[in-house]
Amino acid sequence: MSESTSDGPATQSHGASATPPGPTAPSHSASPHSHAAAAHSHADAHIAGVAFHTRIDTALGDGKLRQALSMATGRLAAGRASAFAALPDADALRDAAQRIRAHTIAHLDRYLVEFTTNAERLGCRIHWAETAADAARAVVEIAQASGVSLAVKSKSMLTEEIELNGALESAGIRVVETDLGEFVVQLAGDRPSHIIVPIVHRRREYVAALFREKLGATADEVATIAAMTAFARKTLRDQFVNAGMGISGVNLAVADTGSLCLVTNEGNGRLTTTLPRVHVALLGLERIVPTSADLGVILQLLARSATGQAMPVYTNLLTGPRRRASGSDGRGEPDGPDQLHIVIVDNGRTRLLGSELAEILYCVRCGACLNICPVFRHIGGHAYGGVYPGPVGSVVMPGLEGLGRWSELPQASSLCGACRDVCPIRIDIPHLLLRLRAQAVRESLAPAWLRLGMRVFAAVATRPAIYRYLGNLVGRLGAAIARDGWLTRLPGPLAAWTTSRDFPAPAAKSFTQSWRPKRRADRTHT
Amino acid sequence: MTEVRDRVLGAVRDALLRAELPHSACERPFYVVPPEAATAGDLVGQFTRAMVALAGEVHHANSLATISDAIASISSGYGAASYLSWNEDAIGCAGLVDALTSRGLRRVSYDLPFDQPGRHERVRALAEVGIGVTGAEAALIDSGAVVLASGPGRGRLASLLPPVHIVLVKQDRMFASLSALLAARPDLVAGGSNLVVIAGPSRTADIEMTLTHGVHGPKHVHVILIP
Repeated sequence: MSESTSDGPATQSHGASATPPGPTAPSHSASPHSHAAAAHSHADAHIAGVAFHTRIDTALGDGKLRQALSMATGRLAAGRASAFAALPDADALRDAAQRIRAHTIAHLDRYLVEFTTNAERLGCRIHWAETAADAARAVVEIAQASGVSLAVKSKSMLTEEIELNGALESAGIRVVETDLGEFVVQLAGDRPSHIIVPIVHRRREYVAALFREKLGATADEVATIAAMTAFARKTLRDQFVNAGMGISGVNLAVADTGSLCLVTNEGNGRLTTTLPRVHVALLGLERIVPTSADLGVILQLLARSATGQAMPVYTNLLTGPRRRASGSDGRGEPDGPDQLHIVIVDNGRTRLLGSELAEILYCVRCGACLNICPVFRHIGGHAYGGVYPGPVGSVVMPGLEGLGRWSELPQASSLCGACRDVCPIRIDIPHLLLRLRAQAVRESLAPAWLRLGMRVFAAVATRPAIYRYLGNLVGRLGAAIARDGWLTRLPGPLAAWTTSRDFPAPAAKSFTQSWRPKRRADRTHT
Repeated sequence: MTEVRDRVLGAVRDALLRAELPHSACERPFYVVPPEAATAGDLVGQFTRAMVALAGEVHHANSLATISDAIASISSGYGAASYLSWNEDAIGCAGLVDALTSRGLRRVSYDLPFDQPGRHERVRALAEVGIGVTGAEAALIDSGAVVLASGPGRGRLASLLPPVHIVLVKQDRMFASLSALLAARPDLVAGGSNLVVIAGPSRTADIEMTLTHGVHGPKHVHVILIP
């Protein structure tokens, strides 16, 4: 394929003002719209260097964000609950899903070999990538080898993780996000804040202003959400028709058939993997199931957990590229991609596998733990700072990259256990967060006051006489400064705890003080 | 490339020696589809309720004439005069093309060319067609979904590009769930390059969680049930 035959007409088919983002699109101009201008300050809020607590304060101070989060996560969590209530076999399915994922990960080498052998037999080309940069380079090279200048992409968190769009654009290849939420994120130069609902942090007025500013939409075209959706369909259809390459993630790969499974509601995943001549799928190396029957089990849970739907609108199973005519009947398939490339990405996953956090690799990224988490519901995805937010992200980010800059994430949890209760795979996320907290202390990544405090506590708690003495002392002091049963201001460094909440006053008698006479009395009776 | 492959697989094997993997010491079968689910009750009624809940529509027809009438009536409702479709034998309805022609509907047949420029031209032309007509391998009663397998004469675009998708489903192809179907028909997945499960019209709720249909795929899905 030569350069000129690939996607040339794409940018000429419509006016520059309607050109979606990419290196050839107009650069961000000073925005006359306050909504769109707000995008940039928000996008900055999650960049490295901004302290975790500052990001949290920013999020908590944003009333609109909290309102939108509360509505969206509440609705998604309620949808999940009613979908599971209507599933008679839910517990058996969740047990099975957990066994399937545990078994697969425990034999991951075998299933990777089986999957790639079968996929190659079907005509897929397999690329292995050890790092994010390797994976992005592999995709760029595939595009260059086919003379691609325009690529369409369906939503994939893995492509966010490897920062694929930047790599493609640096190589002069335009890439257009086609999921409606991701399309808005890309137009704004923002980042997704939820793994299922990328613009959960945005309101309709924001999207309208963005479409008008960046794409030249008319007032009618952004008058309602339905109109904006229709406008996005029209704009993106042009891109689909002209793209030389489609890029997708993979929800799960099936080892015994060599298939890829991709689920979407919009249909952009099907268009991305059907219309362009070349399809590149990025697969995290842990996202495999042994058989299609196993896939069926997990698919019964995936959409119910994510959005409360029994099934996603489109569950797309891709088994090799388009079949060419063969044998006596001489008839091949009428459509589908001519080439199917699968890039298998490690980028920290083998590190995770060898760690005490390996259980998180069972995850199928439904997002249920985000929607149920009281912390996520208040601060949203950006405050977490990583590609994967919420409870799962607080394990995955330090797991993939080491605690380093993620040492505070495991603290962003009250350990209430709601995430474990909704997880379709029953992953014990609170337990993994505790392991990370312990690791942070071991690696001296926890704050100095916390380490000192824990050492003092350990010394006191293992010496009963001192523990009792200090306990009584604290109890008496507490009772002395309490007002109406509450401590509204603790002294010294403890004051930080009471700035936003009250501490209950200590009981008049400690547990041991109450227990000892009772035990003596019991002994005399027997 | 094989060097990288061996390094990654080596790293996986190495990690597995240390990995802590709860619940991994388990044996097949991981799950057995409850047998009663697939046969009990009013399957057509359950499917219809699930489909309607997804904003799909269900019709009934029992002969070439009534099927063709139904398709023609749906098409005229959308002002469409042409359609993309699977081949008659793939749909399982001999004589359908002629019957639709006599009702004023023109079939647009297609095979995407492999070479790049011709491909763009063809897709651009197909994007104007108003109706897609396909058959289906199965229907799922738990979700109101239909299951389509690609193959010769059975393209993917007929159920994807037009704003309206009409799908003919035989009533004896009802399954309780996708699990039940894949357990009963493991051959389906690898039979063609694409097996797609379609649960109603294309939808999004990305903007303010407001449900909107037809964002990329068909905005309307009509199922015609055939005895």
